[in-house]
Amino acid sequence: MTDFLFFIEVVVAGLLAGTMYSLVALGFVLIYKASSTFNFAQGAMVFFAVLAFVGFMELGLPFVVAFFVTIVLMGLVGFFTERLVLKPLMNQSEDTLLMATIGLGFVLEGLAQAAWGVEVRRLDLGIGDFPIPWIIDSTGLFISALDLTAGLVAAVLIIGLALLFKYTKMGLGLRAVADDPGAASSIGIPLGNIMLLVWTAAGIVALVAGMMWGARAGVQFALVDLALKALPVLIIGGFSSIPGAIVGGLIIGASEKVLEVYVGPYFGGAIEGWAPYVLAIFFLLWRPEGLFGEKIIRRV
Amino acid sequence: MTASTDNILEIDAIEVVYDGVIAAVHDVSLTVPRGKIVALLGGNGAGKSTTLKAISTMLAAERGMVTKGTITYDGKPVKDQGPADMVRLGMVQVLEGRRCFAHLTVEENIIAGAYSRKLSKAEIRNELEKIYTYFKRLRERRKSQAGFTSGGEQQMVAVARAMMAKPKMLLLDEPSMGLAPQLVAEIFNIVNTLNQKEGVSILLAEQNTNVALRNADYGYIIETGHVMLHGTAQSLLNDEKVKDLYLGVSKEGRKNFRDVLRRESAVHPDFHQA
Repeated sequence: MTDFLFFIEVVVAGLLAGTMYSLVALGFVLIYKASSTFNFAQGAMVFFAVLAFVGFMELGLPFVVAFFVTIVLMGLVGFFTERLVLKPLMNQSEDTLLMATIGLGFVLEGLAQAAWGVEVRRLDLGIGDFPIPWIIDSTGLFISALDLTAGLVAAVLIIGLALLFKYTKMGLGLRAVADDPGAASSIGIPLGNIMLLVWTAAGIVALVAGMMWGARAGVQFALVDLALKALPVLIIGGFSSIPGAIVGGLIIGASEKVLEVYVGPYFGGAIEGWAPYVLAIFFLLWRPEGLFGEKIIRRV
Repeated sequence: MTASTDNILEIDAIEVVYDGVIAAVHDVSLTVPRGKIVALLGGNGAGKSTTLKAISTMLAAERGMVTKGTITYDGKPVKDQGPADMVRLGMVQVLEGRRCFAHLTVEENIIAGAYSRKLSKAEIRNELEKIYTYFKRLRERRKSQAGFTSGGEQQMVAVARAMMAKPKMLLLDEPSMGLAPQLVAEIFNIVNTLNQKEGVSILLAEQNTNVALRNADYGYIIETGHVMLHGTAQSLLNDEKVKDLYLGVSKEGRKNFRDVLRRESAVHPDFHQA
């Protein structure tokens, strides 16, 4: 029975950690939906956002104020990205845009470190990364408070974004642009505003993801590479799907923990780092558009 | 705007160049009288789509530029506006190839057409109901994903979506493309009804000369970026050269306008229309 309890614990911890991958993946999905581009700068945005947030806190701003100032800052990043990068590259191939996002990533990394320095910062959200006592008492499971919070935050963000896309005018505009920017522009949907909205939303998602990861692992340059973990998440969930990012994150989180614990020892451990990519390759073979990716509609 | 301009659109000798080097339109002048349907006819590559995109300012997105001449819409020059400005001014283009939002439902597609207008939910419902009276077939299909509807339905979605923007003028780019004759007739019927009941002025580019002229008031025939001939739809339908070249009632094989003119000017050296 304790074996089974241990298995549940591994799965739950994995699922909750997976929501943190989902948060990062969500930022990619937003931008992919609007411009069919894999935004390589998303990792840098996570780093940039959370470093700025910690920086503002160090300047003495209260938590909430720092949070909103950072959101405004990410809005500015979105604005300048639209004006200086996306607009001049309008109607260029998606590959060109992809390369531009790599460049944007370097710029953001450089700016962040120039402004705030390179040392690792601690981010204290007031939520410990330790098991919650009452859950241990009632179920015997060891579940981290930070994991649980990340799960809740991710849930709120996802529900909010899903409602925004489904029921608001902006959301309809965004989905229209995602389908056909030319046609969207022909009926008067301003592409620039939609891009600005999407990049700002991606910036906010990056900030939240960065805060969660920063609280766990410290605010440091390594956060940039975290974004890579989102790649298998997106392959499994689908690049264009918000529910896909969530489910993909959960699958990756749970399976990497389970594999690490039960299969890892046969490989000498530490398979967490590459197991998700193996999983992603199987998905590419089986269902290249991902679990929830929009099927390519082809009329015959 | 003023009473003196009975023309909603006036194009004066425009030249359009893509990428700074490729001239697609050399010399096109045309006028669309308010409340009328004007057909822009010609084969592939004649410059029809380019002319329409010059008017709706969608050219910039394809790295094209109007390098000579002027376009005047509703009494004001079309120059520094973008596509969103033109839509606000009441000019909407229905792009070639329908271009529905494939993953949106039919109804969401149509509602997206009202993006430029500030409407309440109730006003949108009212507008939708009005649109459905013109496009009855779309009411039945409104919950379907647009990408899975038929070609004719997609064309209707595209026109309905444009109508949601409450245009004073519609630019239709090849509404008949790839559709069965019956559907083409249905689409043109709707276009005609919209023109009469809503008073929308229409400029339509077509390769299907016969259908277009039967539904239009006035026609322009362009070839390699030049206006070759223009006149009332009736006069063009009866014109021997047009019959010969575009209506497929020629006794000889197919040829182009330039050849006919060259032959004629050889017979009558002082007659040259282009």
